[in-house]
Amino acid sequence: MTIDATPAGLRLVDVNLAATVEQGCVGTDPYRIDADGAPYVPVGDGGIVLGVRLGDGVWEHPGDHVAPGACLTHQDPAAGYALAAQACIGNPVTVRSGAAAGRAGVVIGKRGEGGRVIAAFPQDTLRLLRPGDQVAVRSRGTGAADPLPGVTIRNIDPALLAVLPVTFGPGTLTVGVRAQLPSKLVGNGIGRPTPMWDLDLQLTPASARGHDAAGLRLGDLVAIADLDTRFNAGYRRGWITIGLVVHGGSPQPGHGPGVTAILTGPAGSLLARPDPAGHHGLSEEAALAPVRDLQ
Amino acid sequence: MQVTSNAGQLVTQVLAGEVWPPLGDRHGFRVDPDGNAFLLPGMGGVTLGAHCGDPATGYAADHLEPGLSVRHRDQAANYALQYLTCVGNTVVVTSGPAAGSEGFVIGQHAYVLVDMPEPALRSVTAGDQVTVFAVGQGLVLLEHPAIKVKNCSPRLLAALAGGTDAGGRLRVHVAARVPAEAIGAGAGMASEYANTDLMGAYEVGGEDLSLGLHGLRIGDVVALADTDHRYGRGYREGWLSIGVISTGSGRLFGHGPGPSTIMSGPAEAFTIIDDPDANLAVLASVLPQKEHA
Repeated sequence: MTIDATPAGLRLVDVNLAATVEQGCVGTDPYRIDADGAPYVPVGDGGIVLGVRLGDGVWEHPGDHVAPGACLTHQDPAAGYALAAQACIGNPVTVRSGAAAGRAGVVIGKRGEGGRVIAAFPQDTLRLLRPGDQVAVRSRGTGAADPLPGVTIRNIDPALLAVLPVTFGPGTLTVGVRAQLPSKLVGNGIGRPTPMWDLDLQLTPASARGHDAAGLRLGDLVAIADLDTRFNAGYRRGWITIGLVVHGGSPQPGHGPGVTAILTGPAGSLLARPDPAGHHGLSEEAALAPVRDLQ
Repeated sequence: MQVTSNAGQLVTQVLAGEVWPPLGDRHGFRVDPDGNAFLLPGMGGVTLGAHCGDPATGYAADHLEPGLSVRHRDQAANYALQYLTCVGNTVVVTSGPAAGSEGFVIGQHAYVLVDMPEPALRSVTAGDQVTVFAVGQGLVLLEHPAIKVKNCSPRLLAALAGGTDAGGRLRVHVAARVPAEAIGAGAGMASEYANTDLMGAYEVGGEDLSLGLHGLRIGDVVALADTDHRYGRGYREGWLSIGVISTGSGRLFGHGPGPSTIMSGPAEAFTIIDDPDANLAVLASVLPQKEHA
């Protein structure tokens, strides 16, 4: 399927961005507090995490905001915000220093607050990566034209829509999703700029069952009803947001599996087709296909 | 509130703060729900003309912080100021032409927010020093173990209507009930820091944004449905949090007038009474001297 990303005749520009592989960080206290007041040590919150892949369940690995692959940052805060704002899902990432130099991964999402990008790598590349390694992100996608009048695309290279369950109809865009969820489940990320922050779903394994989302996996697409994510994320009746699940659950209140918004528009134009059992979102194979030659 | 507590055992900590200026950046504008740029006052500094009992919305303002916005220059000292200060605490201006004037805390918003009589407010400006008599964290309602109290001074507890009812529930009077759909920025943050922005009360945009909250007033006591704020601000079906509206008009999408949390627990631990008089204005009935005498 060909997507015309520039109906207005504007060409997207590619920008090479420098980034650093992050070290997972913890505060001065080893503990965080879960929703019931119990302390826990956060595992897997950022940095390089081995053994977690697109397709894994969001509660499969005990941890806090565990993402599949490595988080990328920039030591200068302003450059970090630009990294988060301009990197898009599907952008190739090339390692430039360290034992994995020359190998490649792909951007699969973003995380909030500090300006962080999540990149998937093959597991044998991840094992060679070390915090502090330099990478280059070839960014492309920010500024993409509406795929359909009234429907806005964010945070994804429009070319990648071709490998996702996205179908264009007359005046509509239909997306296959694992689940459609109410906007009240969105916690951290609400009210924040969508290009630089993900949306945490306030779900636990127990509460997810009530929303037909118990089978939620990394790389799934989900729909969020009554949420407009064109600029900041906020409540708007009759709208819908489609996002990609980019990190796992969290014991912290107000947090949970993270979603990077990719499409938003009125529910009459943007349609979600939930399939709790059979949904297939972004697989590791499809995500890494563009850089397979660089492994 | 007719309820037994450990208020008599709490200690008061004397904390220093400074009235903080409004902060901007070189880009100036922010973006409203429909993508339009705006540049509006409201956050930081000394904001005049908006007091407890006044409308929370209807101002040409963004993140309206009534009265004084107070911080501390040192990061750790600032966290202590933000976490330990409670709604209803007494604040005394200690420098500048308003030195000696008293006000009271109405909530936190990454600043401690202080309401004062308008004549005194007129004489305060950014950089003036204040003293906060911080007391309230650690407050326990002895007959309501399921309810966690936070950011609530003994003075506020005494001034609120309600109390333990015949069935053992805590009767709380509220001016408004807030649906879970309205919870905006501030979700996922610690309940002792900043507040919860409520969406759906914007001065701009269409009916599709409204959640029926335009009648809120500054200082209103509100009930937040399906929230558990005991250890951070999160969604939880069947739970309830009580807050007081400490900030007003918000133009930024996903933001808006916001409650600072004072209680949280399972919904069945509360009996909620709708009462338009449930507002921090009741603090006037309890003299501050009782708190730091």
